Amino acid sequence: MIHRKLSLAAAVVTATALSLTACSGGDAPAADLTSVSIMAPFLEAQPPAADGAVQKKLEELTGKQVKINWAPNASYEDKTNITLAGSDIPQVMVIQGKTPGFVKNAQAGAFWDLTDKLDKYPNLKTTFPDIQKNASVNGKVYGVFRGRSPMRAAVMFRQDWLDKLGLQPPKTTEDLYKVAKAFTEQDPDGNGVNDTYGITIPKWGALGTNSPYDLIEEWYGAGNRWTERDGKLIPSFETDEFLEADRFIKKMVDEKLINPDFATFDSTKWNEPFFNGKGGIIVDVDSRVSVLINLFKQADPTNFQNKVGFVGNLEGPDGKLRAHPTDGYSGFLAIPKASVKSEAELDKVLAFLNTMNGKDVAVLLNNGIEGVNFTVEAGKAATIKPETPEGKAVSTDIKSYAQLGMNVAGNQFYPVKQASDYEQQVFDKRTDVMAEDLKSAVYNPAAPYVSATYVAKGAQLDNIVADARIKYLAGQIDEQGLKDAIKLWDTSGGNKVKEEINKLWQDNK
Amino acid sequence: MAAPVIDTLAGERTRRTAPAPRNGGRFSVHFAHYKWLYLLLLPGVVYFAVFRYAPMYGVTIAFKDYVPFLGVNGSPWVGFRNFEDFFANPDFPRLLGNTLILAFLNLGVAFPLTIILALLLNEVRLSILKRTVQTLVYIPHFLSWTIVASLSFLLFALDIGPLFQFLNNAMGTHIDFLSDPAWFRPLIVLQEIWKNTGWGTIIFLAALSTVDQDQYEAAIIDGDGRFRRVWHITLPAIRSTIIVMLILAIGQMLNTGFEQIYLMTNALNREVADVFDTYVYFVGITQGAYSYSTAVGLFKSLVGIVLIFGTNWLAKRFNQSGLF
Repeated sequence: MIHRKLSLAAAVVTATALSLTACSGGDAPAADLTSVSIMAPFLEAQPPAADGAVQKKLEELTGKQVKINWAPNASYEDKTNITLAGSDIPQVMVIQGKTPGFVKNAQAGAFWDLTDKLDKYPNLKTTFPDIQKNASVNGKVYGVFRGRSPMRAAVMFRQDWLDKLGLQPPKTTEDLYKVAKAFTEQDPDGNGVNDTYGITIPKWGALGTNSPYDLIEEWYGAGNRWTERDGKLIPSFETDEFLEADRFIKKMVDEKLINPDFATFDSTKWNEPFFNGKGGIIVDVDSRVSVLINLFKQADPTNFQNKVGFVGNLEGPDGKLRAHPTDGYSGFLAIPKASVKSEAELDKVLAFLNTMNGKDVAVLLNNGIEGVNFTVEAGKAATIKPETPEGKAVSTDIKSYAQLGMNVAGNQFYPVKQASDYEQQVFDKRTDVMAEDLKSAVYNPAAPYVSATYVAKGAQLDNIVADARIKYLAGQIDEQGLKDAIKLWDTSGGNKVKEEINKLWQDNK
Repeated sequence: MAAPVIDTLAGERTRRTAPAPRNGGRFSVHFAHYKWLYLLLLPGVVYFAVFRYAPMYGVTIAFKDYVPFLGVNGSPWVGFRNFEDFFANPDFPRLLGNTLILAFLNLGVAFPLTIILALLLNEVRLSILKRTVQTLVYIPHFLSWTIVASLSFLLFALDIGPLFQFLNNAMGTHIDFLSDPAWFRPLIVLQEIWKNTGWGTIIFLAALSTVDQDQYEAAIIDGDGRFRRVWHITLPAIRSTIIVMLILAIGQMLNTGFEQIYLMTNALNREVADVFDTYVYFVGITQGAYSYSTAVGLFKSLVGIVLIFGTNWLAKRFNQSGLF
């Protein structure tokens, strides 16, 4: 009851806030679209100011008044649903993913179906039709997807430890085990005390969220969330490879090569053991490489090189490389029917998005304003040093504005020039490694499909298996217990999910 | 002394409404007679109608397939389907069990402790010491659950927490208090005691301050010890307060506290940690199943009402003054 009251109160507050921000220009006349209202999440501590330099430049480049209603990322999904239930609905909404709430609203007709409309706009016509399909709801495109590089998986390790022990960077999952074992047992920091362990994994269990568990399972050949076996799609956890991979992880847990508190360790502190010399390996996205390097750089600006090493995806025990890609998008920009009422209006909003996705705006949203916070050097955006207050404001603001970037035809903006030659080398190596891994990517074949049963109770079902996986690794249940949990997934509705997914898959083949 | 106050109010009510039947029992006559009193009543009625009863309209989504885009009115009715789904769900017995066990642990351990602490404080004769202790035991109540959970994590963290090390050295075992399901309930109850026991004593201390001091003097003359005085004088004197507080506590029993449990839950102890409150959040807010989770919340509220009326009825059967 309390939560309902709270959400009601939140609804009232949001509605008030929306009417305050949107009243002057929210109701754009169909005849001529002078202003566009957008709802978007911000990930920083504060949303950008409404009169900032980026905002002014954006309005100048698009020729429209752009009203952005920034909502905090943490509660963005709630806000989306509350906004849709209210009367002040923006013309463009950033939707962060195919959540049950979104799918329900979309299927009830809350958003324009853009399936046959985007090709007409040169900047909205995607060069990645597969990703657009991934982002669709059973083939229906309800928004312009926000493209993200599909290959991001990497294994990061303490390069100095590796060098000290005279080891090679891991190439296979077996190498990962060997390095983790050496990091745990051979005193890599040379302090004479047995106080290090190999891999750090934080509290993170949900299925198919690019967790270290998901990555290792995919490397073993379990597939990416779903996999085709004997002409049918099954969830990857129903494969033998899934069990093999988890046996492998359990072996590392049992031998204390993984931090013992992996079920409760706070994910915001993930970098700490690595930086403090307690845990030597992190399996995560490659962008963490830069974050880790920066930590060492802040601590010691002269001697931070060669602390962080990394490789991409690892070969499985059969010697095959199955790289783990993401779905290639991070949500999409959808257009609610309640605020954009006619096809004519829709055209105007899409034309606006087309401008938003052009090179000029892409550079603004992702790099900032040339001459204020960056300059172009050899095709790269170099941050202007020393930073002026104006430049700093722009650099901060674009972290939020980048949320509006769609990049459906690849990145139109400049790659960022790194601060030093060493960091540039690492960055270039990251790009190369990820590009190479992309050739071996194993995608989720069920990504475009949304089954009705899964919308209703999929997350609860997945929780059964995700929890069982952690319990198995922690030794609370044995392998039979894990298999029982998978069976429970089947009988509590999973069988129906499989049936529906397979039907959608066959129909769309 | 809550009970006499309630009785007095009831007596007042009877006397005031008495003239109405004498005048023929007609409401308009009665109303005309008391119009100013009714006018005084109006703001209260409006407040409850607007802020307490109107929002209950939203409860109807428990009987609908609510889609935010269609709104409360536009969403189709589904009857009791959400309730049927919930009762048929294998989660239901587990949730009910977890909620009730935690509720009874809190009621059985934390509630008596507030009374015991109040009695102990009451026996402290040095008023400066009494006041200092009172203030000190109140303070944890003002810390948020987030802080309490963070403290627990620091103290019990695997391998580095001081309490983890102390207890495991003392017991000679290796228990991970934060993720061992067997330790989840004790931890929750301990946190509750640590945080709220001092606060819970306030009302009992108020009740204790009204106990007739002469009775103690008489008892001392009769040669009664401290324990007998507490048992025969103090406890009977605050019995009605205890019962009223118990009924209120039982009404709140199923509110196991979302924040506290949510913060202490992890994949290894979820089996015993999931309660109605966290479940409503998990399926309702994170998965957008608003109708279903509203049905769950409504069921919880109904159980709460039944418990209140049940306890009240029991209290009256045993010749104690109830809440109403």
